[in-house]
Amino acid sequence: MALLARTVQERKEGSTLVVEGVNVPSPRTELLIRAENIKDLVQPEGTPKETCYMCALGLDVKHTDVLILSQFVRSDGCMLPRRITGLCRRQQKKIGKMVSMAQKAGLMINLTPSFCKKDPKKRFGFKKFNSYFDETTIFQKKKLTPFEHIKYR
Amino acid sequence: MSAAKRVQQWATFARTWHIFDCKWQDPYQSADLIKKYLMGMHKPIYHPMNDCGDVVVCINSRDIALRGDEWKKRAYFHHTGYPGGASWTLAWEVHNKDPTMIIKKAVYRSMKGNLQRRHTMERLLIYPDEEVPEDVLQNVTNQIRQLRLVPTRLDHIPEDEVRKFPKVMDYPKDYVYK
Repeated sequence: MALLARTVQERKEGSTLVVEGVNVPSPRTELLIRAENIKDLVQPEGTPKETCYMCALGLDVKHTDVLILSQFVRSDGCMLPRRITGLCRRQQKKIGKMVSMAQKAGLMINLTPSFCKKDPKKRFGFKKFNSYFDETTIFQKKKLTPFEHIKYR
Repeated sequence: MSAAKRVQQWATFARTWHIFDCKWQDPYQSADLIKKYLMGMHKPIYHPMNDCGDVVVCINSRDIALRGDEWKKRAYFHHTGYPGGASWTLAWEVHNKDPTMIIKKAVYRSMKGNLQRRHTMERLLIYPDEEVPEDVLQNVTNQIRQLRLVPTRLDHIPEDEVRKFPKVMDYPKDYVYK
């Protein structure tokens, strides 16, 4: 299935300006990676059967993996909403947080609003220094119930 | 004694010079690593009473990376000794003032406070950028491996490579490019 996406084109016919939406094939379709197309992909134990494409791939994405994270953002660096990304609730949260981590670390500086200075070292105050982030802080760790505390001690 | 053993013997008893690139490294994590080389804890002959520590040259200390929002949360304490002489300086303000101070303090604090600590610190040389004096650089024989991978910025990756990179997300049918 070839996915289509739309672009808005403007052209002039004589004195009239024609603005029209044109269907264009998505450039990503050929490069797309899906878990069902990979034969020898071993799912980790405890993965539910119906998952989103990101859960099914089981990738360990870090906030420094800008080549993956940049696929989920608009040209101004905004995270795309869930109805467009098609992720599950948990993955949307995780990717969204990692996008903001990458932006704060200045790793996707070309995907920023036009008024951005485009150089992380020209930022104001403490923002001009390098900072890295820990992905384990995205979700709260599961708290053990009192019974489990006794079991694992 | 074989040739390899003889070199090992030299390396143990000589004062080796190590270089460490602080670019995108956490100073508090790398301090634990640098400390081992400074005190000579990586040598089999190590003993607290034994002066077997090496020299470590830290470069690019201006480009260290702190975790999360620690630049504005971590404060450095100083007291002049007079009443009301206490002051707290945020990490980014310290780094603005002196880009070598955070890594220096981190290594200093990672070691136990004894009489040897000040002398061990003398063997730590820190430079804010890649400009190292020639007489220092010509002694260096070993590089300490970095703890964290230096991240690549998206605008530093060639555009062609970004376009050809395998994709996980595709746009829905009715998506309008922005």
